[in-house]
Formats: sequence, structure tokens, C-alpha cells
Amino acid sequence: MLKSVNSIAFAATILTLTAGTALAQSCPKTGGTLTYVYHPEPTALSTIATSAVPVAIISTKIYESLLSYEGADMKPKPSLAESWTISDDKLTYTFKLRHDVKWHDGKPFTAEDVKFSVEKIIRPYHSRGKVYFGDVASIDTPEPYTGVFKLKDPVPFFMNVFQPGEAPIMPKHAFDGVDLSTAGAVRKADIMQKPIGTGPFRFKEWRKGSDIILERNPDYWHKGHPCLDQVVLRVLPDGAARAIAVETGEVDLAPMSGLPEAEILRLSKLPQLETSKAGAEALGPNMWLEVNMREKPLSDVKVRQAISLVLDREKIVDVIWYGQGTPARGPIVSANPTYFNKALKPYEYNPKKANALLDEAGYKRDADGVRFKMTQNFLPYGENWVRLAEYVRQELGKVGIVVETQSLDLGGWLKAIYTDWNFNITSTFSHNYSDPSIGVERTFTSSNIKKGATFTNSMGYKNARVDELFAKAAREMDPKARKAQFDEIQQILHNDLPVIFLVELSYTHVWNKRVHGLITNGISMYSSWDSVWKD
Amino acid sequence: MKSFLHFWRRFRRNRAALVALFVLLAITLIAIVGPYVYTVDPFEMMGRASTPPSKRFWLGTDVSGRDVLAGLIHGARVSLLIGVAASLCATLVGLIVGAVAGYYGRAVDNILMRCTDFFLTIPSFVFAVVLIAIFRPSVTNVTIAIGIVSWPPVARLVRAEFIAQREREYVLAARALGMSDIEIMIRQILPNALPPVIVVSSLLVATAILTESGLSFLGLSDPNVISWGYMIGVGRTVLRLAWWMPAIPGIAILVTVLCINLVGEGLNDALNPRVQRR
Amino acid sequence: MSATLWFVIRRTLQVIPVVLAIAALNFLLLHLAPGDAADIIAAQSGGASAEFTAELRRSFGLDLPLYQQFFVYIGRLLTFDLGFSNVQHRPVFDLIAERVPATLLLMVVSIGFALLIGVALGIISAMRHRSWVDSVVSVIALLVYATPQFWLGLMLIVLFSIMFGTLPSGGMMTIATDMSVWERAVDIGRHLILPSITLALFYVAVYARLMRASMLEIYTFDFVTTARAKGLSETRVGLVHAASNALLPVITLAGVQVGHLLGGSILIETVFGWPGLGRLVFDALLQRDLNLLLGILFISSIVVVLANLAVDLLYGFLDPRIVHQ
Repeated sequence: MLKSVNSIAFAATILTLTAGTALAQSCPKTGGTLTYVYHPEPTALSTIATSAVPVAIISTKIYESLLSYEGADMKPKPSLAESWTISDDKLTYTFKLRHDVKWHDGKPFTAEDVKFSVEKIIRPYHSRGKVYFGDVASIDTPEPYTGVFKLKDPVPFFMNVFQPGEAPIMPKHAFDGVDLSTAGAVRKADIMQKPIGTGPFRFKEWRKGSDIILERNPDYWHKGHPCLDQVVLRVLPDGAARAIAVETGEVDLAPMSGLPEAEILRLSKLPQLETSKAGAEALGPNMWLEVNMREKPLSDVKVRQAISLVLDREKIVDVIWYGQGTPARGPIVSANPTYFNKALKPYEYNPKKANALLDEAGYKRDADGVRFKMTQNFLPYGENWVRLAEYVRQELGKVGIVVETQSLDLGGWLKAIYTDWNFNITSTFSHNYSDPSIGVERTFTSSNIKKGATFTNSMGYKNARVDELFAKAAREMDPKARKAQFDEIQQILHNDLPVIFLVELSYTHVWNKRVHGLITNGISMYSSWDSVWKD
Repeated sequence: MKSFLHFWRRFRRNRAALVALFVLLAITLIAIVGPYVYTVDPFEMMGRASTPPSKRFWLGTDVSGRDVLAGLIHGARVSLLIGVAASLCATLVGLIVGAVAGYYGRAVDNILMRCTDFFLTIPSFVFAVVLIAIFRPSVTNVTIAIGIVSWPPVARLVRAEFIAQREREYVLAARALGMSDIEIMIRQILPNALPPVIVVSSLLVATAILTESGLSFLGLSDPNVISWGYMIGVGRTVLRLAWWMPAIPGIAILVTVLCINLVGEGLNDALNPRVQRR
Repeated sequence: MSATLWFVIRRTLQVIPVVLAIAALNFLLLHLAPGDAADIIAAQSGGASAEFTAELRRSFGLDLPLYQQFFVYIGRLLTFDLGFSNVQHRPVFDLIAERVPATLLLMVVSIGFALLIGVALGIISAMRHRSWVDSVVSVIALLVYATPQFWLGLMLIVLFSIMFGTLPSGGMMTIATDMSVWERAVDIGRHLILPSITLALFYVAVYARLMRASMLEIYTFDFVTTARAKGLSETRVGLVHAASNALLPVITLAGVQVGHLLGGSILIETVFGWPGLGRLVFDALLQRDLNLLLGILFISSIVVVLANLAVDLLYGFLDPRIVHQ
């Protein structure tokens, strides 16, 4: 029943498999509390307020969407919708909803809630709402348990978007009296702090700075589920303290690389713990150096290739990220089971060749051995990014590129990179998400050269062929043709290096072996956990 | 020359200060010539990460396999430089504000002292953190920020000295001779007001080094240079696996600051003999 | 009495412009910074469209001219409304309020500990002037002055938490949720030991030195000589006459140092993962949470102003000459 699960999670998989198909119907064991540890603390309990990692983990236990997903390739499964039909022209999606679903406050769930959530909340206020539902012409509710989505144009990834974190269905009645015309009012709504969902767990208590407790939803539509009585989030700011809590069994799980990499490495050797990089394939974090291509010398592809040649990706993974990652080959991560282009060659580490390329490009060393000077910024997300910046400065210095590092906090960094375009190179990372049209396109098409939009084409990269291919792929309903389009895009970007692709980061989860059934799909930590159980 | 000998004879009497002075000179020497003698680049990933002190790496390696000894030597430069520069910066501002306020008195004094009090009100470390976060961490900005938060005590001290001196006969005489205010302040009063200021600004160097280390520890340091506080911050993440990594630079700070304080005390004994030591 | 009352009123009124100046300075400084909360929220969500960010900015009032934002800010302050944290999605006042107990606990315990030990050491040093006790205290004080507080905290963690394993290395309480009130109190107490010692040690040194100096000064006064002449025991002279009089400057200093203590607690709370105000400052700063930062800086400066005011008034009552100055 599980597909494409990484080898590290294999033991867990076997256990789940031996439990057999019966698992779908009943829990091997019920009861118990799953405690997981994470920092920072969520700022809200809804991904509408922000889809930051801590918020997405906890709120996906409370809210559901129309579908759930199975396997790394995200095969759609029923959730709030028990069945669906797609018209031949791929423009009409009809979802039949469950009749037996109640909100946590006891009120019945209907198609009105779906229509309301998508039209009034998700599309305007979820950060990717317009990408997902921008092509929806109308949502009809012919009867209380049917929702019909009519699209203006076909959207090949439409069945991917109904994830609990990306398209959470919210109760219409909870927004009575809320001004829905401004983001501020929606964000301040009570429900953002005191959620009412349909999911397997409902909100019980939030002790700020300490923990959030969710309890079993006794009226959950999936009879006999969830298996657990409680899900508890403990917020521990200190990384070492989090690791100790996992090690001693005080907590059961540290999801989404919630521990310092050095500690993950240490804990992975302990017999009572399981460590897995699987279960985040539909997020696909990819780290690179964004290059401002508007000016010389970085506008020269030879210079970018030279920079790529002096950075040892293996070393970056091993030393800076303590092995928690894979050298990147292009814009789509290699863990993507559908679209990764296997023909891409690994990037070479060859400083000699880099020197030759730089000479060839006309940037000869001066008397001091300096070819040119530039500045670099780094993503202010913590220690590793500082280490990376130090490494980049060091290695580029060896081939005569003098780099000055500028340290900005997040606000300043975002403004410099995405609003002012005032930078030479910067480290950053971006998520592939469940489809390249959602997560990859925004960085590389010329239409995404937009001042003020964060995590877009800050490089000023314009390639007509890439633009054309992305535009086609966004509408292409033939999977084979679509794969070919993405393959070509990957090859072009691999050679053009509008960003210096460095490392596919891993979201590593560490859990106690007494917990079972965590890794189920490409968004395992953003799934409902209704079948997760504990010895 | 003669007065210097006199000063030296007094200073020498404080044994602790004398020893501290030599240690401090040694540290300064290391900071200046060290990087040319021990040429290892402190940012170069040389070996395996987080190794304990060994024959190849006398003080071990840090989280990225970089030589801790090289970091310590290069870091001495930055820590001392920022300490001295920030102290000079604070002293200069304090001197100007305090001198003007003390010499002119009345409304000018009132306004300037209100400003000084105002700056004293804002929690200084919080203020420094805010300043650096806004104006981004570079050696210059860190120095200026520390200077900005540390000048008020100097201003108060200078003001008090100027008030004490301004009615003295030699000042009145200078005024009668038609000297300008600025001349009187700089040529006449300042030399007499200077000894206690020198003591305070030498102690400010110590405070500035400590403040800089705290800021670097929080990640608010110039990313292009290595400093002792930064090294502690780097080592902190592996405290459990390699305690010596943050311990070593901390000891360097401790020794340096201790020596500066002791020298400061020695200066006090030598320059302000009126104040008897208790 | 009326002169005293007049002094109190005048001194209290003088606080108002200072408070306004603090508000203005904070506001201007923070608005000089590039980037704003709208950018941050957009970034946390993994990127968003320019319209999305602009819409956020509009709904937060971040698109208004600066002077208008300032008037809005001051107007809110007058009604004790510190605004809304656009990053944490909650009122600033709530965010600060929930962190205050932890910081207050840490600060009160530290100050109490520092006063107790510092004053005791100061008295002993003064009464046993130039004895070995005096020398040891002096040397320790010198060492403590030279030690970075946060580093000391780290080393204490290494010693007591990693090597001996006797004390927790961070946080405010253990994860277990099933604890009686008493067990919980003991648990918090155990977590409090290392951070409060770290924070207090510097002040122990300061108070010991000050207490010692101020007692030695009082020893030279006539009334001490008189007391000795009356044949009172040296212990009695020291403790009753000298120490009680020498205490005032120490307590005054403790009041004035509130701001300094708050600064130190940023570092200490970061080292020990203590969930207090100091940590909130740093987190708010890194996330460029303008409203929250304004609130915290404002509140902490106000606390300092009030502490100074209290000290001044105390002096005014104890030394009437100041009133008439």
C-alpha cells in the first residue's frame, strides 16, 4: 500500500505492510499520545495565516481538504470527497462529498463550506491560492454534498492541490462577522488561533511558548480513527535540548529537520530511533546561489560555470549540512519520482577548469591575483547558511574572485534580493512542491521578474525557450509530452546556470520506533496522521 | 619625559598592573604580527570537523574543520580593534558633549545632559542590537554602535571635571588674556581633566570587547572577519560534542579583558594619586 | 511637605518628554530598516505574488506616509494599545505579557541572589579589610568583570549539565505534563539555577565591591568612631551602623541597573532557551516584527525610566536637599 519509500524508512514500511490491508480499516493499536518537538513555535493554527513549516505541521491534523494522497508520487485518495469525476475536456471536476462529516463544533459540513473556503479564503489569502485556483471560473453546489469546479483552461496539476495544508477547507459559519475583504481582518479572525476543522484531531489547548495539545476527534468520519488519543507539540528553542528529548524518549518525533544536523547524524546511530529523509518528496527543497545576471561579469555564462566548478557540492553536503542532503543537478530535485530528468550529469568540481574558463572569459588576474570583486548575501535562516557563505567566499577567493559577504536580517535580505535586486549572488532555497508548474516555474520564467514578489526570478533570467516550455507545460494534459517539456527545461537550466544549483536539502524526520505509520506520502508531516499508531 | 618617568615609577608599583601590561602587549603583538607568522587562513576548511586539540591542530578544529588557533590569532585583531576604536569613539563624543555642557553650563548644560540621560535610559545592549540589525553588521557599524551606547558615562565624568575646573584661577586668567572658549577648553582645561578620562576610556575598551563578543555570539558580527565572540557562537552548536571549541576563545576574551582592567587600575593609581587605594 | 510634593510632581512630569522621545526614537530607527512585516509573511509562506504582498502591506497600514504611521502609533500608545504583531498574528501586548513572568522570575531571582551574596561578601570584605577573604573576593570580582556572561553560561552548562548531568541545560520546565504543583515548582527551580547564577554573578561582584567601598567610607565617619568609643563590639559596629548605612547606594545601583540587567538577559535567555522577554527581543528583531519590537523597546525603556524615577524620589525623601536644588 505504500510506494516509493526511501530505504531508511524501510523497516517501518515492512511493519506497516505486514499489518496488511486491514490497516486501512482499523488501527493495530489505539490510544496514546504522540509528542513531537519543533521550533519555532507556530504563529497561527491555520495555513491561511502563513504556510510556514511549524504552522503546516500542526494545522494539517485539524483541517482537511477534499483529497488525501498516497505515495511519493501523490496518488489522490478520498478524504472529504469520497469520489470524483473529471470531464473529458478536463475542465469540469465534480466532487461528491461525504455526508457524515461534522465540524469540531458539531455543525454539519457541506459543499457550501468548500465553495466558501476556496473562493473567499484560499484563493485570495493563501500564498499560493492564485496559482491553484486562478483558473477556476466557478464553483457550483447543485446539492449540499456536491461541488463542481469549472475551469477556464485545463490545469494539469489540479488534482494535486487539494492537500490539507494547501487547500484547507474551513467552516463558513466561523467567519460570520469577519470582514473578508482585507487580509489583515482574515488573519486576525478568532479561528486562526482557535481552529475548527473536520480533521482527526481537534484543538484542545495552546500554552504559549510551551506546547499545543490536540485531542482525538470522537466524531471523525473515518470510523475507528484516529488511532492516537492526543497529538502534542512541544516547543523547545534549544536544538541540543530537542535532540536530548528525542534521545531519551520524552518526545516521539522531531519532524522536518527539526534538529541540528550534527544531532541528526548522532541520533541516526541510536537503535531506538528511526531516521528518514523520505516523506517530503512533494515539498522538494532545493538550495542554490541566486545570481544577479543583469550586470557583468555574472551575465557571462562562463563566469557562472566557473563559479559552479569551484564549489564542491559533496563537501557542502558532508561538512556544512552533515550529510543531510544530495548534490543538486538542476531545478527539480532527484527525489521527484515523476519529473526529475535522469539524463542530467552531476556537476563537476574542478578549480583548474574554472581558472581556464575565467581566463577565457577575459577576466584575467591582476597583480594581486584578483580577477574581479563582488558581494554576496546569504539567506538568514541560521548557522548553516553562514557556514555556506564562508565556504563560498573562501573557494571563490582561490580562483581570484574576491567576495565580500554582507549580513542582512530576513527583512533586509528580502528587500535587497526581491525588491531592490541589489545584490550579486545570494544563497537561498525554494520548494518544488507537488508540481514543477507550482514550485519551479516561479523562479525561472521572465514573467516572474517582478519587483517585490519574494522567491521569484530575482536573477533577471530571460530565456524565450524556457518561458515557452513552462507555458506549454502549465496546460499540457498529456503526461508524456509534459515530462518531455520539463526534461528540456531542466537541461537548459542545468547548462545556463541562472542559479548555481548546489544541494537538494533533506527534510529529515527522526522518530522513536514505537511510533508507526508516519511516512505515507510526499507530504507525510503535512498529512492528517489518522492512521499513525503507537506501541 | 620626566613626567613620564614619574608616571612610570608610580605605575610600576602596582605589580598586577605591570604583569597585565606585559600580557596585553604580548596579545597586541600577536594580533599585529600573528597572522603573518601563522599563515593559516581561519576560514579554510583544513581537516575533519570538530576534532580535539592535536599535533596538527594545536587547538583543534571547529564545526567546519577550520583551524581554531588560526581563528584565535585573527580574532585577536578584530576584538582588540573594535574594542579600542569603540572606546575612542565613545571617549570623543563624551569629551565633546561633557566639555561643552560643563564649560557653558545653564541651558546648554541642561539640554545636553537631558540628551545624555535619555541615552542612559535606553537599555544599552538592546539598543546596540537594534542599531546593528538595522544598519547591518560590519566592523565599522559594530564599532559605531558600541560607541553610541557607551559615551554617556564619559560625558558625565568630563562635565563634572569641567565644572570643577571652570572657575579656577588659571581659567579666569586665560579668559582675561582674551583666549577663545575653544582654546581654553582644549589647551587649558582638557589637560587637567584628562587623567580620570583616560582611566575610564581604558576600562571602556574592556566593556567594548565584552559587548562585541555578545553581539557576535548572537550572530551580529561582520561575516567577513573572524572574532572571538563569533567563535564562541560557532562552538555553541556542538557544545555537547566539543566543549573546548567555545571554551578556548572565551578564555582569550577573559584574559584580555582582565588585563585591560588591571592596567586600567594601574593607570588610576598612577594618574589620580589623590584617590587612595583601599 | 508641599515642597516635597512639588518635587514629586515636577520629577514625574519630567518623565513625559523622555517617554515621548523614546517612542519617537524607536519608531524612527525601526522604520529606517529595510524590509517590513509584509515581506516576511510572504516569505514564510514560501513566496507569494507582488499583489499578495502589496495587499498585506495595505491592510497593515504600512503603505501610509511615515508621519501618519507615527501619529497612529502615538495615538494607540495613549490608549495602551501596543498594536498587532503582523508576524505572530497576535496583539503585541499579549505577546509581551505572556513573556513577562518568565523574565521577571529570572530577573528577580538573580537580583535577589546577587544582593544577598554581594552584600554579604562586601560586608565580610570590609570588616576583614586586607584579610585573605578580602583578597579572594577582590580577585573573584576581577575575574567575573572580565568574563563574558553568555560564555560563563555555556561553561556552566558544560560542567553541570553535560559532565555531571545534574542540572537541565535549557528551557524552563521538563516536558512531562503530569506533575503536581509542587513537583512543577521544584522542576522550574532546577531549570532556574544555572541561568540565574549566570546572570547574577556579575552583579554579585558589582555589589560586593560597592558595598565594601561604601562601608569603608562610612568607617571613617564620626558616628562610627563614636560607636567604637562607646565600646560596642566590632561586629555590632560593622553590621548595625556601617552596613545599614552602606546599603543605600547598593540598592540605588540595583534600581538604576534594571536596563543593564535586561540587556544581559537577552544573551542569557538565548543561551538557556529561557522563554522570556529577552529572547522575544531577539526573535522579533530577526523576523523584523516592527510592532512587537516597538512594544518591547518601549516597555523596557519605560521600566527603566520608572526605576530611575523611583530611585530619584527615594533620594528626594531621604535627602531633602535635593528637593530644593
